[in-house]
Amino acid sequence: MSPPHTAHTAHADPRLSRYDPLTRIMYFDDFDQGMNGWTCLVGNYEESLATMTRSYARHTQPMLSQITHWDSGTHGSFDGTYALKIATRPVAGERNTAIKRVTYRRAARIRMETYFAFKPEASELKLSDLDVRSVGLLFDLQDAGQRVMPHLRYLNTLNGQRMHRWQFKQRSTQFRAIGARGETVTHDHLSPQDWEDVPGAAQDLCYNEIPTKINWHYLRFDFDLEHMRWLGFQCNDQVFDCAGVDSIRMPAMPNLSCMLNLAFYCEADTAKRTFFYLDSVLLSGEF
Amino acid sequence: MAGTIRNAYTAVLARGDTWEGVVCTEPYEAAWAAEAVFFVHVMEVAQGAGGEALAQVQISPDGLRWVNEGTSMDILAQKDALCFARVSNFGGWLRLLVSVAPGVVIQVLATLALKA
Repeated sequence: MSPPHTAHTAHADPRLSRYDPLTRIMYFDDFDQGMNGWTCLVGNYEESLATMTRSYARHTQPMLSQITHWDSGTHGSFDGTYALKIATRPVAGERNTAIKRVTYRRAARIRMETYFAFKPEASELKLSDLDVRSVGLLFDLQDAGQRVMPHLRYLNTLNGQRMHRWQFKQRSTQFRAIGARGETVTHDHLSPQDWEDVPGAAQDLCYNEIPTKINWHYLRFDFDLEHMRWLGFQCNDQVFDCAGVDSIRMPAMPNLSCMLNLAFYCEADTAKRTFFYLDSVLLSGEF
Repeated sequence: MAGTIRNAYTAVLARGDTWEGVVCTEPYEAAWAAEAVFFVHVMEVAQGAGGEALAQVQISPDGLRWVNEGTSMDILAQKDALCFARVSNFGGWLRLLVSVAPGVVIQVLATLALKA
């Protein structure tokens, strides 16, 4: 009797079987193995830390969490113990980030995939589904002519109102010179302004009923480095067409050639810490 | 943690923050680490040079409720003073509870060096 037709090359590694990578895997970071090069996104400065934009100065280091709760113990990650955790401070409107910095060797199509979850800190015996403002990702990219920063976020809540939609942004704040040497500038591309809904933006995620229950969600984001344009994204069973969706764009900067940075971020809507968890992150390319 | 060498990671807990009165660092999860060293570097003394602060290591079962671990360090309010505190067997969460003497204001760099 012949075996059923279930064989697939990805099954050789069950951890990869739940992903759809392109031809070459640039990195596959499973946080059961460690931090894998994910770190804190600090703002630019010169001579003194006081020159840093305040919103960046508030960023703290990501951590490896086994997602342990007071009522149910350790939740664990999708396929192991540890997930990358990005935590805001317990202040409404606060945000935090984690970043990984590499460069690209060919301006090809790329694909980011992850399994993620988010929750507020379980500091109240309430549903708490309106405490997290947003979670999202951004790429910071540069080719010969321009620096391009696609931003995508899931806006869960805004000022107490349930939003449940995906957004992007095409504008950043004005550049500001750092220090006196004329070598460094900054802009707050994660500022609360200028977010726009993507086409067909609405999606309800699996929040689950109390702050200590976690459900992992799949997210895929496709981008064309050659033409610096969005190709689309998918979260769980919804696929989003990104026609008309663009990125923050600016002239190329002097020392960022072939930059390929990926960052994740989250924001709190109330005075409660927001926790953004990533089980693993896979970046692949068509080259 | 898998791997042939020991995982290690340094987290910055306070980056140029101003400490006065009673201050807590944000909770840091590090159940993967077997040992940790807190460092506090006094970058500047804004007020009360020669005074002191006491930093106590705290641990938590859930990130919500905190208790003194028993390890502490005295921080001298002097530019470029550097002090440390070592802990192990701390469970999942770590933070510093810092009591700065009245009249003392310091700007600090606090880091947490973790090793599996």
